[in-house]
Amino acid sequence: MSSVRETIENKEVGLIDILDVILDKGVALKADLVISIAGVDLVYLDLRLLIASVESLVQAQQGNHKEVSSEQFDKEREGLIHATGQPSKW
Amino acid sequence: MDHLIYLYGLIPTKEIASQPLPSLKDFEGSGELYTMEIGSITAVVCRLDADKYSEDQIKERINNDMEWLQEKAFHHHETVMQLAKIFTVIPLKFCTLYKSEESLKDTVQSNESKMTEAFEAIAGKEEWNLKIYCDDKQLKEQVSQNNPAIEEKRKEISELPRGKQFFEKKKLDKLVDSELEKEKNRVSEDIHAHLTEFALKGHVKRTWSSEVTGRKEEMTWNSVYLIKKSDVESFLEQVQQYEAKMEEAGWKFEASGPWPAYHFSSFA
Repeated sequence: MSSVRETIENKEVGLIDILDVILDKGVALKADLVISIAGVDLVYLDLRLLIASVESLVQAQQGNHKEVSSEQFDKEREGLIHATGQPSKW
Repeated sequence: MDHLIYLYGLIPTKEIASQPLPSLKDFEGSGELYTMEIGSITAVVCRLDADKYSEDQIKERINNDMEWLQEKAFHHHETVMQLAKIFTVIPLKFCTLYKSEESLKDTVQSNESKMTEAFEAIAGKEEWNLKIYCDDKQLKEQVSQNNPAIEEKRKEISELPRGKQFFEKKKLDKLVDSELEKEKNRVSEDIHAHLTEFALKGHVKRTWSSEVTGRKEEMTWNSVYLIKKSDVESFLEQVQQYEAKMEEAGWKFEASGPWPAYHFSSFA
C-alpha cells in the first residue's frame, strides 16, 4: 500500500500553483534584469482563457465544429476583464 | 555573442561536492545547466542569448505569449524540483538574470551569510501547501438551519405583511452570508492552528477567486507549511482525517508537495 505522501506526491500540480510560487514567491535576489509582473491574477486569468480556448479547440477538432478565431479569443478575454472589473493592462 | 546568466537555484557547495549535478536541460532546451562555485555556495545556471532575452522581450512574452510562459514556467519549476530532490536549494524567482558570471558572483558573495542561514533553516525540511474548498450552497443550508439567530429572524419575517417580507428577506440573506463566512474562517483557522503543530512554520496565503481556480467550490483557505521530512507523513494523515470527517458536509482538502522551499527561504 502506498503512503499518503506517495499518493499526493504523484499528483500533477497545476500551472496556477506553479506561477503563484515562481512569479510571486521565488526568492528575489538582486539581479541585473528585473522582470516584474504587474498582476499575477491577470496572468492567471489570461491563462485560464488559454486553457479554455485549447479545450474548445479540441472540441472543434472532435467534430463539434466550434471554431475558435483569434477575434473570438480576444472578445472572450475582454469579456472576462470586464466581468472581473480588472483594467486592461496588455 | 553576448550572453546572460539564468539563475535557477543556490546549493551549499559541500552538498554538490559529494553528489554531482545531474544532467538537466537549459532554458532553451538545447544545452545543459552547469554550476558556478562561489565559495561555500554553488549557483545552478545556464546561458541565454542576450539578443533574444532583453528585459523588454521577456516582459512582452510574459504578457502576451501565454504558451511560452506556460512552457517556461514548467521548465523553471521542474528544474528547481529536480534540484530540490537531491540538494538543499534556495529556489530563485522565474527569470532571475545576470549580465555576467562576475555580476552573479558579486551578488552571491554579498549575501553569503544570509544564504547560509537560509540553508540551515530549510535543510532536511519540505514545503507543503494546503488549500481548503467549500461547497457554499451546502454549507449555507447548514448554517441557515443550525443558527438560532437566523431561525428567529425567519420566523419574524413570516409573520410580516408581504411587502415588508421582500426587504427583510434580503437582509436575512446577507446575515446568512456573513454567518457563513465567519463559520468557514473559524473552522479553517482551527484546522490551521492544529496543523501548524506538526510543522516548524506555517504561513497563510491569500485565497483565489473561482474565476482563477475554475472550480465551482470556493477556496476558503490557502496556506503553506515548512515541515521536517520525518513529520510529513503525520501531517498528511491529519489532513486526510479532516477530509474524511468533513467531506460529507461540503469541505474539500487539497494538499500538494513537496515544494522547493519557495516561501521559507527568503532572506530579504
